[in-house]
Amino acid sequence: MASLDLDWEEVREQLRAWREDNTRHSEEVIDMWEYCLKHYKHKLGDERWMVEEQVVVAGLDSYRLDIAEHSLVALNEQFPGSLRVRKLKGMRLEALERFDEAMDVYDSIIRQDETNSTARKRKVAVLRGQGRIADAIKELTEYLKIFMSDGEAWQELCDLYLKEGDYSKAAFCMEELILTNPHNHLYYTRYAEIKYTQRRDPKGGLDNMEIARSYFCQAAKLNPGNVRALYGLFLSCTQVSSSTKCSAQKKKETQQLATWALKEIADRYSKCRTNAMDGSKILETFGSLSITEKA
Amino acid sequence: MRQSCSLLCLNTTMAVVWARLAFLAGIISLFHAGYSAAQHRAYMRITEQEYTSLPTDIGVQGLMSLLLTMYGILHIAGDFKEIRANVQLQNKSWETVGNRPTFYTFAHRGRALSPNYIPPKSKSLLDNIENISS
Repeated sequence: MASLDLDWEEVREQLRAWREDNTRHSEEVIDMWEYCLKHYKHKLGDERWMVEEQVVVAGLDSYRLDIAEHSLVALNEQFPGSLRVRKLKGMRLEALERFDEAMDVYDSIIRQDETNSTARKRKVAVLRGQGRIADAIKELTEYLKIFMSDGEAWQELCDLYLKEGDYSKAAFCMEELILTNPHNHLYYTRYAEIKYTQRRDPKGGLDNMEIARSYFCQAAKLNPGNVRALYGLFLSCTQVSSSTKCSAQKKKETQQLATWALKEIADRYSKCRTNAMDGSKILETFGSLSITEKA
Repeated sequence: MRQSCSLLCLNTTMAVVWARLAFLAGIISLFHAGYSAAQHRAYMRITEQEYTSLPTDIGVQGLMSLLLTMYGILHIAGDFKEIRANVQLQNKSWETVGNRPTFYTFAHRGRALSPNYIPPKSKSLLDNIENISS
C-alpha cells in the first residue's frame, strides 16, 4: 500500500489533512507511520506529538497494539501526568477489553478535572463497547444535560436510539442537529430516512411520510448531487401518492415530483455512464422499486 | 512522478518568496513615505511656510507601497474560503461527517484483520453434540 519512497513531507501533509478532516483511515495511518514517518519523527518538530496521538488511536483501531504501545510510551515520557495521555491509556484498556479498569481510569480523570468532557464521552464508548446500549443511552443523556451543544454527542445519541429501534427519540436528536447546522444536507437526509421508517407508526403514518418527503426535497435543494435524497424523494412520493388518505390534487402534485426525481437520477447516472452500463435499463428497474410487506 | 512533485514544490516556494519580497518592499516603502512626510512637515515648520498638503510624490509613493503590501499579503495568506456554507459539504458523505472520533469503539470486526489477532477459543461443535446425546 504505502511505498517506501514516499516523500515524508507529503506523508505529513496527508496525516494532517486526515486529522483536520475527521476521517477514519486507521490502516493507512499505521502503514504510513510504519514504513515512512517513523524514521523521520525527529524532523516533525511540535507536530510530532499530534501525529503520535493519531498513531496511538489508529493502532488501537486496527489492533496493532505493539505500535500503539510504543507511541504511548513516547507520549508518556514527554507529557508525564497529562490527562490527555491518561485518556489514551484508558482507550488502550478498552481495546484490550479490560472495561472495568478503563472505567476506573476515566472516573479518576473526571475526579481530577470536572470539566473534562472527553473522559465522560469515553465512558459512554466503554458501555457501548460492552454492548450495554441502554446504560450508554442513560450515561449520554446525563452528559448532554451538562454539555448541551455538543454536536457529536447528539449524533452518537441518535445512533444509539436507532440501535434500540426508538425512532421517535432518534428523530428528536436529529432535529437538534439540524437546528445547529441548518445547511448540512446530510442531516436532512438522515432525518427524512428516520421519518420514512416511522411510516408504520399508528399515530401519524402518512404525516411522517409527508414530512420525509419535504425533508428529502430540502436535502436535494441544498445539494443537487445527493442521489440518496433523490431516491428517497422518489420513494416517499410514490408512497404518499399511493396512500388512500391522499386527495386527488395532492396525488397529482406528488406524482409530478416523483417523475422529476426519477429524471434527475437518470441524468446523474447518464453523466457517469460507461459503455458497460446501459442507462435505459435503470428506468425499467425503477418500476420494480417499491416497498412491500414481505421483507 | 517524484521529480514532478519536487518541481511543483519548487514553483510554489518561488511564488511564496516573491510574495514575501513584495510584502517586505511594500512595508519598507510605506515607512519611507511616512518618514519623508514627517520630514516635509518639519521642513515646512522650520522655513515657516504654510502647510497645505503633502507633495504629490510622497502621496503616490504611499499609495503604491500600500497596493504592493496588499498584493504580498494576499499571496502569503493563501486561498479564500467559500462563503456559502453548503458548498463545502457537497462532496462529503456520511462517512466523514458522521464520524465521531471521541466515541470510537475498538470492539469491532476489523480487529480480526490484524496480524496480532488471536481468535478467542470457543467450544467445538463436536463437544456440543456429545453433551446433548449423552
